[in-house]
Amino acid sequence: MPIVAQTSKFSTFGRPVLAWGVGLLFFFPIFWMVLTSFKTDADAVKPENLVFFTPTLENYFNMVENYDYWRFARNSIITAVSATIFTLFVSIPAAYSMAFNPSRATKDILMWMLSTKMLPAAAVLYPMIFLAKGIGLYDTHILIITVLSLINLPIAIWMLFTYFKEIPRDIIEAGKMDGVNTWGEIKEILIPLAWGGIASTALLVFIFCWNEAYWTVRLTTIDAATLSKLIEGNRAPEGLFFGRLSAVSTAAVGPIVVLGWFCQKQLVQGLTFGAVK
Amino acid sequence: MSDRKLPRLLQTPAVLLLLIWMLIPLGMTLYFSFIRYVLNNLRRPEWTSPSLSNWRGFGNYEFVLKSKDFVLAIQNSLFIVCSILFLTVILGILIAVLINKAFPGQGIVRVLLISPFFVMPAVNAVLWINMILDPVLGLQGIAVAGVNDMLDSLRQMPVLGSFFSLWPEFEPISFRATQTSAIAVIMMVTWQWTPFAVLIFMTSLQSEDQQQKEAAVLDGAGTWSQFRFLTLPHLGRPIAIVVMIQAIFHLSLYAEIEIVSRGNGNKNLPYLIGEFANNNIGAASATGIFAVILANIVAIFLLRMVGKTLME
Repeated sequence: MPIVAQTSKFSTFGRPVLAWGVGLLFFFPIFWMVLTSFKTDADAVKPENLVFFTPTLENYFNMVENYDYWRFARNSIITAVSATIFTLFVSIPAAYSMAFNPSRATKDILMWMLSTKMLPAAAVLYPMIFLAKGIGLYDTHILIITVLSLINLPIAIWMLFTYFKEIPRDIIEAGKMDGVNTWGEIKEILIPLAWGGIASTALLVFIFCWNEAYWTVRLTTIDAATLSKLIEGNRAPEGLFFGRLSAVSTAAVGPIVVLGWFCQKQLVQGLTFGAVK
Repeated sequence: MSDRKLPRLLQTPAVLLLLIWMLIPLGMTLYFSFIRYVLNNLRRPEWTSPSLSNWRGFGNYEFVLKSKDFVLAIQNSLFIVCSILFLTVILGILIAVLINKAFPGQGIVRVLLISPFFVMPAVNAVLWINMILDPVLGLQGIAVAGVNDMLDSLRQMPVLGSFFSLWPEFEPISFRATQTSAIAVIMMVTWQWTPFAVLIFMTSLQSEDQQQKEAAVLDGAGTWSQFRFLTLPHLGRPIAIVVMIQAIFHLSLYAEIEIVSRGNGNKNLPYLIGEFANNNIGAASATGIFAVILANIVAIFLLRMVGKTLME
């Protein structure tokens, strides 16, 4: 049994050390960003202040006072939350219909929906700007919410579809016997049963909305500009202002990373479209 | 069957929205790709607004195909996407196998590992290219300078000094340069997406048949052959899913490319479109149509490979 002995030796010592090493390595850039955010811009680039320095909140005060952080943050919250709600509002009925009343076209429709995700956004950017300015929606919340919803719709429908498929059809049918109509079925039977799946879909859509940086940067100027626009505006050329940059970055990704920590288990299932169990 | 009608109709809003979302901008892109349409042109002001009288036929397509950036951008797109897929799958499997068994602090390590996935892509790029990879001010620059200083002081040593003076000075690498910026992009995206692969592979490993493994051990199978003949086949489907989902996201990679090098020698297709779109909307649209065709080829290939298994 030499193999077994060897394995167990590795398990008691090698595995934890290696695993912790990998975990810390992957987390290091984030840690570094947070650490740098407490340094002044001058300290941040001095090798002698790499680890030891006088922590300061200067960058954060500066960010709030001079860069209008809260306006960007508010826009991020408004657009991401509204887009998530709107996406669910459209995708729950669609996924319900596909999961419980499939037609021969359902598979193809689902495939087609996913394939729209692969279209390069850049290919339709100019027409979108043209249209948005034409109907006077450029740089408005409505436009950003619409775009964010549309780009996340395929993923949301797919995820919900895979969750709904797991629910025995009989349960839904039983509702029909009791004289519940379609809306009642969705509201009173489906949503309570698939609550976990709906929650992880909502979470993932929210994260994607929050992190979106192509459309939000190009379809806004000031009024509807989100945190990704703030980052775009603050990336100073060639490594200046590390402290300021880190503070803005930390404030932009912090909420989502923490949210992700709490919900990682649900997210995993969601991300795999329920296809990996 | 009439009670089936309403439930079936419930998917129409989603389908219609996506159809509109696809067809209208795409139709306009198609139209712009066949006309002369530039934003600034003092000599030919009629070209600055879209009109059928500026019809150019396939002229924009020819222009794009002839520009040397186009082939480069396609090569670069594929190089970046393939490298990221390769690295994330390999690293993902290794790390998943490593942390799958219980050890002290497993939960915390999982949390640490997943974190990069939630970072905004723009922040990811800004963070890596400045604070980590910058050749002077970033950690890379500081580390290289530190090593060189150490070598310098070793050279001053009485006897061994002559040995160390044979060593070269180390040069920090500038990741904004033409040849290296793609590497930087691959590095940062791999950092961000490896956690995704790890989580999916871990979920899958947990459902691996343990009895089969024990039987294999009794038959004298070593760790490697267990991995090769039991674990790896078991991971087939998750690997396919990781590849598909990542391909969807990375084909349209943009923020990272722009922030790292402003496309300096490292354009991918989306970036090239953006560059054309600064002035020549016609050429940008033609490039866009090429990008759509490329995306469709990849999509058909991937969906054939993976999509059907998702349905079961």
